Amino acid sequence: MKLLMNLVYILIFPGLLFSSVFGLWLAGIDRKILARMQKRVGPPVMQPTYDFFKLMGKETIIPDNAARSTFLLAPYIGLASLIVTVLFIPIAGIQAFGGVADIVVILYLLTIPSLAIMFGGSASGSPFAGVGVSRTMVAIMSYELPLILIMLAVGRLAGRGFDMGITFSLEKIAQYQAANGPNLFCWSMIPAAVAMLFVIPCEVGAQPFDVGEAETEICEGPLVEYSGTPLAIFKLSHAIKMFVMTLLFTALFLGGISTGMLWLDVVIVLGICAVVTLVCMTLAHAITARLKVEQMFRLFWTVIAGLALLSLILVWIGI
Amino acid sequence: MSLPFIREAMTQLFSKPSTEAYPAEPKDAFPNYRGRISFDADKCIDCGMCERVCAGGAITKKVEETPEGKRITRMFSLDSCTFCACCADFCSRHAITLTSDYHMVARKSKDLLTAGTYVKKAPAKPAAAKVITPVRDNLKPAVGNGIVAQDGGQ
Amino acid sequence: MIKKLIDESMAKSPWVFHINAGSCNGCDIELVAVLTPRYDAERLGFKLAGTPRHADIVVVSGPVTAQSKDRVLRTIAQVPDPKVIVTLGSCPCSGNVFKGSYSVVGPLDKYVPVDVSIAGCAPKPEAIIDGLALAAQIIKEKREKQ
Repeated sequence: MKLLMNLVYILIFPGLLFSSVFGLWLAGIDRKILARMQKRVGPPVMQPTYDFFKLMGKETIIPDNAARSTFLLAPYIGLASLIVTVLFIPIAGIQAFGGVADIVVILYLLTIPSLAIMFGGSASGSPFAGVGVSRTMVAIMSYELPLILIMLAVGRLAGRGFDMGITFSLEKIAQYQAANGPNLFCWSMIPAAVAMLFVIPCEVGAQPFDVGEAETEICEGPLVEYSGTPLAIFKLSHAIKMFVMTLLFTALFLGGISTGMLWLDVVIVLGICAVVTLVCMTLAHAITARLKVEQMFRLFWTVIAGLALLSLILVWIGI
Repeated sequence: MSLPFIREAMTQLFSKPSTEAYPAEPKDAFPNYRGRISFDADKCIDCGMCERVCAGGAITKKVEETPEGKRITRMFSLDSCTFCACCADFCSRHAITLTSDYHMVARKSKDLLTAGTYVKKAPAKPAAAKVITPVRDNLKPAVGNGIVAQDGGQ
Repeated sequence: MIKKLIDESMAKSPWVFHINAGSCNGCDIELVAVLTPRYDAERLGFKLAGTPRHADIVVVSGPVTAQSKDRVLRTIAQVPDPKVIVTLGSCPCSGNVFKGSYSVVGPLDKYVPVDVSIAGCAPKPEAIIDGLALAAQIIKEKREKQ
């Protein structure tokens, strides 16, 4: 019985099927709203789904000087780690695998998809991919610091409510928010929320922070030699990553909302995910250009880390 | 730090997009657009000016001899045409016009062709000629008293 | 059922890669004009791919010059099947005004099978949309035949 429930969690809700469907939907509305902001009609919202199925119908070409098994396995590693991450985040009160230290596990798991792109890129044997890999490494280094500080700040706020010092369990954070209102409405959390809104596009690889996968500049970076089903899995994991990051934002800052009906809670959570996507990814994409590597690194380690640190200090001194 | 395009992005989000619904609604080219060539074969006199003047070397002709004259097919390959309208300018009989049809898409480029066939009749052969003897041979030699023979040699 | 989904999606999401084989850039300008808000090919699913390995439709413009011939052939060989090759403008069909030049090695269909030709010098963006829509249809046919 427990095995069957776990299988349902992993494969259907909130695992593979649910995240794929809603991740692709989020990617679709991102493109559509971006097009409307640019005064064009834009692709239908189902377009990323069509892209995914079309890529599965193409042949897979493996270059001569590529490392075969790494080249073919890298996308699946990224996808698997993203699905496991989703299982740790509570949606509307359902959390598949909880624990004492959810946040630490999620921090480690969230680096794996970017590492998978780097593995795939290095295994391609192309110099364009090499440039993309080194830029992706800089991107990972940039966003890790603010992300850790944000999670420490939220953990401390919730832990203070339970007299624990600091808590790393997302379930406790959800309970704290159910009792005291969403975290976003605390004064000390607002800098952390703003910092998180910057960390989300950097992690997902959306403009203006997409130096890793700069399309026209380095021929798509680490994905340059991919085609066919592995590329489809990479695009799918990009879409699921958007879903996971916005879901994490919801769990950390706007959680604990419950109206009593499960489906309504899920709909509210998805609505918040969509709004967060539009604000931090689509709007930023529409009005800015791509940042250079050193500009991005400097921005994250000074301004964004400063905001998160401000929030941490405010929470620690008790406001 | 200024965010220059925010206002445009938000206003454009809620206004009508400026995209033309092209494949759904047909669209005409502007007047005097130089599009597909149309050739009126009946007006052609085979002077060959268009072929000489064509920038892309797109005009060719095929000739077949028939009893009533030459059957000439003049072909304009649109896959080599640069739509400069020199042929239309130089045609002395105004047989060539460039219409405003711009939909020129085909699976094989040889299919994009405008052609016209006409028969150039040979000039009429003259009827059996009357034998005209030259006037000089029948003249009598001039007599001394200044009288020249009058009859012209019937 | 998955197969049917894949076949249907082939025509709805064609990614385009553009190769300039010595063109004067007139056709290239019209091609990127197709992606502007006025003509917006993205509503039909078209997207410019950054690398030939991601592309379905290869659009070639320009008479194939001697210097670019090997590179064009090599790039086209990197595109995964099923693929469609589209020639843009009258240059790759016949050389147009550059016919007979010492550096132009002839129409593209001497080297690769061309599926769609869009004539014009330069073709109007609406004609390019027509040609690309026909190419998307052809890709679906090629996939169904596979």
